[in-house]
Amino acid sequence: MVQFLQQLINGLSIGSVYALMAVGYSLVYSIMNFSNFAHGGVIMFGAYFGFFFLTLFHFSFPVAFVSAALCTALLAVLIERTAYKPLRERKAPFLYFIICAMGASIFLENLVIAIPAIGPTFRTYPEIFSKEPFHLGLLTIGRLDVLMFIISAVCLALLVYFIDYTKVGKAIQATSYNIKASALMGINTDHIIIIIFALGGLFAGIAGVLFGMKYTVYPQIGMITNKSFIAAVFGGLGSLPGAVIGSILLGIIETFTSGYISSQYRDLIAFVLLIGILVVRPSGLMGKTTEDKA
Amino acid sequence: MSKKITAILLTCIMIITIGMTGCAKPADTAPTASDTIKVGWMGSLTGDQAVWGQCEFNTVKMLFEEINAKGGVLGKQLEAIGYDTKGDPQEAVNVAKRLTSQDKVVAIIGPNASGSAISIASTLEQAKVADIATVATNPKVTVLDGKVKPYNFRVCFIDPYQGAVAAGYAADVLKFKNAAILYDVADDYSQGLAEYFEKTFIEKGGAIVVKEGFKGGDVDFRPQLSKIKAANPDVIFMPYFFKEVALSANQARELGITAALMGGDGWPSDQLITMAKDAVNGSYIVNHLDFDDPEVQDLKTRYKAKYNQDLELNGFLGNDAVLMLVDAIQRAGEVDSEKIAKALETTDIKGVTGTIKIGKDTHNPEGKEAAIIKLVDGKYVFQQKYSPK
Amino acid sequence: MDTYVQGILILAGINLMAVLGLSLLTGFTGLFSFGHAGFMAIGGYTAATMTVKFHWPFIPALLMGGLMAALLSVFIGRLTLNLKGDYFCIATLGFGEATRLILDNVQYFGGARGWPGIPNYTTLTNVIFINIIGIIILANLIRSRHGRNMIAVREEELASQIVGINVFKYKMMSLMISASYAGIAGGLMAHYMTFLQPKMFSLIKSTELTIIVIFGGLGSISGSVLGAVVLTALPEVLRSFASWRLVVYGLAVIIIMISRPEGLMGGYEFTPSSMRKLFSRLKKKNITAEGGK
Repeated sequence: MVQFLQQLINGLSIGSVYALMAVGYSLVYSIMNFSNFAHGGVIMFGAYFGFFFLTLFHFSFPVAFVSAALCTALLAVLIERTAYKPLRERKAPFLYFIICAMGASIFLENLVIAIPAIGPTFRTYPEIFSKEPFHLGLLTIGRLDVLMFIISAVCLALLVYFIDYTKVGKAIQATSYNIKASALMGINTDHIIIIIFALGGLFAGIAGVLFGMKYTVYPQIGMITNKSFIAAVFGGLGSLPGAVIGSILLGIIETFTSGYISSQYRDLIAFVLLIGILVVRPSGLMGKTTEDKA
Repeated sequence: MSKKITAILLTCIMIITIGMTGCAKPADTAPTASDTIKVGWMGSLTGDQAVWGQCEFNTVKMLFEEINAKGGVLGKQLEAIGYDTKGDPQEAVNVAKRLTSQDKVVAIIGPNASGSAISIASTLEQAKVADIATVATNPKVTVLDGKVKPYNFRVCFIDPYQGAVAAGYAADVLKFKNAAILYDVADDYSQGLAEYFEKTFIEKGGAIVVKEGFKGGDVDFRPQLSKIKAANPDVIFMPYFFKEVALSANQARELGITAALMGGDGWPSDQLITMAKDAVNGSYIVNHLDFDDPEVQDLKTRYKAKYNQDLELNGFLGNDAVLMLVDAIQRAGEVDSEKIAKALETTDIKGVTGTIKIGKDTHNPEGKEAAIIKLVDGKYVFQQKYSPK
Repeated sequence: MDTYVQGILILAGINLMAVLGLSLLTGFTGLFSFGHAGFMAIGGYTAATMTVKFHWPFIPALLMGGLMAALLSVFIGRLTLNLKGDYFCIATLGFGEATRLILDNVQYFGGARGWPGIPNYTTLTNVIFINIIGIIILANLIRSRHGRNMIAVREEELASQIVGINVFKYKMMSLMISASYAGIAGGLMAHYMTFLQPKMFSLIKSTELTIIVIFGGLGSISGSVLGAVVLTALPEVLRSFASWRLVVYGLAVIIIMISRPEGLMGGYEFTPSSMRKLFSRLKKKNITAEGGK
């Protein structure tokens, strides 16, 4: 029983990391209908921004946190302007968007490795919060896990509020429903796309800094962001609640697979499950099943 | 139309580039001045293990400069030509081919990854150039199906030995009865060590209570560690590299696991201490040498003076590889790659990592003792030289 | 020719074989795969099993490798080909990584520690020979009715379905052929490296293959040939430039997509007739230029 609860806590904690990352994929997908693979690179930059703000410029944690998130928002918008906008204007097929996103992701990851001042070695965040965990009977919960859980919940709640209750949010919803019709209705879809990328970038920064604090910073964070992308697919690309629920579920499934079936074959089981879900319900658990945009 | 012409022009440029690759070669095939001895080096200059690779190459270059300053070998100057393998077996083959056929080296030092060292064997045999691997610990680097590969040598001990040392020390000296293993299922080094640790530990009468895997690139090990905690082992064997060691050790302590931790030569690094000083306190490492041994201090200070960085593990083994090669060239009496390979077979020298006496049937240094190191307050404290009975 | 240049050419040939297959899938059918390294791995391990354990000759072993990869692709295709673009991508990514993970754990093949001692059968001659056959088959396929149907599927899936093209059948056909090409490439690789390790078939390898296809030009076989040779040779030319190589790759992909999405060759092919046309057009231009003077 203790084992079960402990694994559940582990699963929730891993799931909440995935959730913060998966939201960015879903946001962009909901409007642009393509998987923004560059998001993983932006998350990695977020982690490095946070690290350098803390160690090089000696910002306090909240300041570093917010400035890192702003920097990544800027970066995400920059990528959109340079890499995706020309494609949009040309009405290029979605394949080109994915290829472009992949190019951007390769560029970002290797840029960090190639810059001598950063390089391939991994960095450790200074200890801001005590590593000493909370103990609940025989269970242990990391302090950072709790913090991450709270920050994720607050940020996601703010995002939902923003999308559901503000004018801009309503415009986003309309655009995600039908981009051409919204443009005809007088919504500046170009601005909406910028806002979406900025939001995605903000979340990438938050995810990056928290990830870096909890684990470490290194150029191949993309390995983990792939997992969170899978979680987003699992929950249904383009759906925010889907991304969150998919992530939490994936985290829990992964932990229980390691805990009760086989840790050697954990990823294999996760992938088999993913393909299974896609076969049974291609749009994921909560994805949009509107018209086919082939 | 203009677009089409651009495309064609681009194509032409590409073809010319390729042509140039082919033509770049004749320039230096002219008989080289006979007063230099070209020695190849290969290893990871980029990627996860770049820190180690860079240090190894730096050490080789430094030693060559020192030797040259003293008059060189057989009155000739040594020249190091190094390329990056990125830890990728395919790149390693390219590099080996380039070193042997274009740069015409007489011997190669490196690489550090076993996969790379294994894949270059057939290239070496074709070119009849010997290679001295530094930290490639997979047994198949030098021996395949019971037959020794004629041109592959190494200066380090091998995985079965390292695994056996760890298991023997845990069972016989530390008197541990129950061990857990956490290893990287997608890594050759980790898989090898885990296998031989398990074998020896069970032979010694111990029990492996739980064996858990993860996949390289993972950052969260708590699901596996929670399971390990429930099995309550005396010791957890962690045969993988320092980044994952730091993360998993921190998480183990966070979950309240108090068992001792043990690892192999993938551990020693300053990064490990920075990141997990408290978590790895009291852990045991099987290493190639004692970092505080008075005999290695000279090398450490020389390196520090030249590059203003600390000498990493690979540097020590790189040093011994250079010693081994220089000794072989001297005994061969002439700069001929085949004669050097022959001479390497009868190597018997003393390096900083111990006595290196190459076995004729294995091309491994025989009877090399491992150093057991304990981590105490962020310091690598030497315990004893140990070889399993 | 020294062994180094020969080695690079062999590698380019091996990459080309895989790229040809991928070019059919991505360039001509519009499906994007992140898992082709998985098919290469299947082909490589199968071919090596055939030569090492069953002592088959080289060419049948290669074909067996291609066949196994094709068989597996039928299974994968059945499950995933109905998925929309992004979902298909992620499914192939999952497949590629899963293949690697299984091979990492199969101790019969040496697991993650690899499988040394595979005979060295791949030579420059047979690589070139196999590639020429591969190109001829592919070129004929693309010019056939089937090939045109595949291109139709790439251009407009819905419309093709309406005019009576069995979209699923053509996607499956394309995937199968491309998987068997990748499988044969894997077999060539195994017998060139004489060593197999699951690490060699990572996501990076899959991405590299896709980049070559894009670089050469989606929908052009000559582009793929050129792409494979250039992108295999380029890092060798720029050895000292190593760490910046992938940065440039990434940037190049973006620039190509923005400014010249059709890649280097952009759907054009090097054929005797196209060359003739080109020269005659150039001549005409010269004549008009002179006439103007």
